Amino acid sequence: MEFAFTKEQLMFKQEVIRFAKKEIVPRVQEFDLKEDFDVESFRKLGEFGILGLHFPEEYSGGGADVVTTVLAGEALGEAGVDGGLTLAYGAHSFLCADTIFRHGTEDQRRKYIPKLAKGEWIGCMGLTEPDAGSDVASMKTIAEKKGDKYILNGNKMFITNGPVADVAVVYAKTDPKVQHAGISAFIIEKGTKGFSAGKPLIKMGVRTSLTSELILQDCEIPKENILGKEGEGFLMAMQTVEWDRSALLAPFVGATRYLLKKCSDYSKKRIQFGKPIGSYQAIKHKLANMRIFVEAAHSLVYRIAWCKNQGRPLNHLEAAVAKLFVGDYSLLPSNDAVVLHGGYGYCHEYDVERIFRDGRLAPIGGGTSDIQKMIISRLI
Amino acid sequence: MNFDFNQSEQTFLKELDTLLKGINCKNIDVNELLKELAKTDYLKIEISPFLMAAMEILSSYTQSLFLSIEVSTRIFGRIISNFGNDNQKQTILPGLFDGKLIGAVALSEDSMNIDNEPLKTKGYREDDFIIVNGNKSYVVNAGIADYFAVAGRIDDKDAIFLIEKGTNGLSVSDRLHTIGYDGTSISNLYLKDCKINETNVLYPKLSAIRMWENQVLIGATLGMMKASFESAKNYAKTHKTGGKPIIAYQEIGFKLAEMLTTLQTSQLFAYRSCWLYGIGDKEADIVTYSAKVFCGESAEKVASDALQILSGAGVLCGNPAEEAYRCSKYAQIAGTSTEISRVKIGDAALGRL
Repeated sequence: MEFAFTKEQLMFKQEVIRFAKKEIVPRVQEFDLKEDFDVESFRKLGEFGILGLHFPEEYSGGGADVVTTVLAGEALGEAGVDGGLTLAYGAHSFLCADTIFRHGTEDQRRKYIPKLAKGEWIGCMGLTEPDAGSDVASMKTIAEKKGDKYILNGNKMFITNGPVADVAVVYAKTDPKVQHAGISAFIIEKGTKGFSAGKPLIKMGVRTSLTSELILQDCEIPKENILGKEGEGFLMAMQTVEWDRSALLAPFVGATRYLLKKCSDYSKKRIQFGKPIGSYQAIKHKLANMRIFVEAAHSLVYRIAWCKNQGRPLNHLEAAVAKLFVGDYSLLPSNDAVVLHGGYGYCHEYDVERIFRDGRLAPIGGGTSDIQKMIISRLI
Repeated sequence: MNFDFNQSEQTFLKELDTLLKGINCKNIDVNELLKELAKTDYLKIEISPFLMAAMEILSSYTQSLFLSIEVSTRIFGRIISNFGNDNQKQTILPGLFDGKLIGAVALSEDSMNIDNEPLKTKGYREDDFIIVNGNKSYVVNAGIADYFAVAGRIDDKDAIFLIEKGTNGLSVSDRLHTIGYDGTSISNLYLKDCKINETNVLYPKLSAIRMWENQVLIGATLGMMKASFESAKNYAKTHKTGGKPIIAYQEIGFKLAEMLTTLQTSQLFAYRSCWLYGIGDKEADIVTYSAKVFCGESAEKVASDALQILSGAGVLCGNPAEEAYRCSKYAQIAGTSTEISRVKIGDAALGRL
């Protein structure tokens, strides 16, 4: 057992941090306030190679391994990139593009992956519905086959990148009579008749990622747009969990590193009662808790990444453990960071209130902490 | 990066578990258990993630004997192997590895805090000998040790005085009655004009010894959590109410999920901190303090949750969760306490103020 990153991985991480600090972080506050998606930053992520990092080079990807890919996500958080952009990246690269790459035909791969990897197109994934969250099998969206077409009807809810996506992977029931085995996955492009996105939802955090409903009203797509075969959709959705529990969790770990640095810097400069507040044990206590969280979460996230790198099937117990821990335990450091900054912490300028808000998604998105406990208690 | 133990390590861990399962650890003393462990390589494992995993198994069977054995073999043993002379190594180490000798390590004094307070135990020179005076507190193995490694000062330097059982002027208090570790010999130690050879003064870094102690305590917490979790899980699966096992109720099942999450997080934390220490990483100390805080506090929580699930069975003495619950406090106090650890971690985050 050993936990070392390679020299190349560590160098790459530093490169990502440098790039993000220069090209992305300066605009983060502005877009969070505007509650707007920063297209320019997203394109830059594509140009730098983050969006397609793990795809083979022949598809305009970076050919990176899973651990390196997860490390890039952590680096974005550590650099100070907001949770909205990292979420937009996660939904785009893993929930959408990776599903097309893994399950698509060669034609589908050639058509979509290079565009998505370069950030020319934006992707999203539609699984959740207004009345179907973690109970995926209760979805009501229907895909009916008619001749050489599928007709889709239904609504998808809380779809990250929904309002800006050029292409969506949408799950629908091709056989409503059965549960999970009746679910199939489809590729739907923006502009398809009967396919539209609702107004962006106003959210507590991750505000630079736009989230909306997707509306499918007699949406007609050619039958070639199915991913894989009918009935394989649920398994595809489950496979994205591997990324969800590694690459999508890593930015939260990185963000806590950023918080720790931010809080440490502030504690040195802020003088009260004649000395820097960092000299008080109560402040050190908070800084220590941030570090302890980072070190604890680190191994959980990279265990999922390393196992995926080895080509092992996902260990659902370990995945749920990682999600539950990062989700629940990341809340304390971000809360402490706000309090440590006092009145300034409550103001936008100091970043910590944004990270506090962004972090509230961790125990919710991709299956709430309660759902993780349900999974773990069933597997015990 | 590799999150697996290799094949031979896995085999060893399995065999260790089988060996301990076959022994009633509640009814034997430390000498008998040492003899059994000496049949394996347990006592010789070097600092590594694998050592943590092995310690977890032993401490899940017996907290009291675990602490006794680890203090003797791992902490006292390392003082000799790292800082002793050839003669001391030849006289003492084989006995430690064979489980025939027991060592004690005396660090704390009445102030408890060896980081901030200068040690009061002192040696001075007289002819070719060293005369040692002082009082040491909470010395594990004090009543059963063949050798004592006593921390003190000489010539304005930190030192370890290596003192043999029966040396004139060395006396041990009655066993202290502690909240946990009721099968461990823990006493105060008094040194009054103890005369030792100059060669029996060693000059280790006391902070290194504290760090080994921290690692032992981290290993102890893993076993506490494992034993607590397993006993609660087994109970929750077999105890029925309303026609179904209580694990099927979310109040119980979710609690077990949280316990397992904490256990797995602690395991990886412990493994990684030990790995960093083993490779001499500059962050090793801080990550070890971090792991100790996390694992120490987690052990109390997990044991407490286990008692809750075990309900009536939990309040009876003699079950693993009850033992773990009582012992978990020690892991937060002994070694570097959680308070001092947090201050050190905070200091590291701040750098120069």
